[in-house]
Amino acid sequence: MSRSSKKGPYVDAKVQKKVEKTLSTASREPIKTWARDCTITPEFVGLTFLVHNGKAHIKVYVTEDMVGHKLGEFSPTRTFRGHGGGKKPAPAAGGK
Amino acid sequence: MPRIQGVDLPNDKPTHISLRYLRGIGPTTSLRLCEQANIDPQRRAKELTDDDLAKIATLLDREYLVEGTLRRTEFGNIERLKQINCYRGTRHKRNLPARGQRSKTNARTRKGPRKTVAGKKGVKDMK
Repeated sequence: MSRSSKKGPYVDAKVQKKVEKTLSTASREPIKTWARDCTITPEFVGLTFLVHNGKAHIKVYVTEDMVGHKLGEFSPTRTFRGHGGGKKPAPAAGGK
Repeated sequence: MPRIQGVDLPNDKPTHISLRYLRGIGPTTSLRLCEQANIDPQRRAKELTDDDLAKIATLLDREYLVEGTLRRTEFGNIERLKQINCYRGTRHKRNLPARGQRSKTNARTRKGPRKTVAGKKGVKDMK
């Protein structure tokens, strides 16, 4: 079920404020946030975010294609280290 | 046998049924197509005149996403997800379900045939 378009996209108020602040200055410091459910708006393009995944903040550089997705989609919360063990080299975590 | 959009050959079924052999044409669009082209949906596909076929073909070209073009857009959408490295993209890359389904069991459509792991619980008892 998708969100009612009447409401518009959900953008975390604090993230919004920080985005406006960094845009008004020249600095492009990454914005640290826990708001994984915040929708990426066109203003976010070109900024870097540090999105929490429950453990650490993952660096996410926002490109044009990412608009409309949520910040959390780019900060995986699980690491799959592969099945089995022994001799076979396990696939790298978070890889392809 | 009439031929629309290249390789597709619907047969001697009613027009609205045969149109559904095209990728991207389902029950609703097929009936709407017949209406737009002024064709009785119950008429057999083999009874369609060249004129009717031309009408359908131009309609498809102009208004609908069908066959190759449709396939290309679908593929492009998935490629986009993979390229931006979002959650759904990585799920596609790994051939796992992308919409939050469980994958501890089931999900065989995506994962393919079972790969039995020796030594796992239950396997030994089967001998």
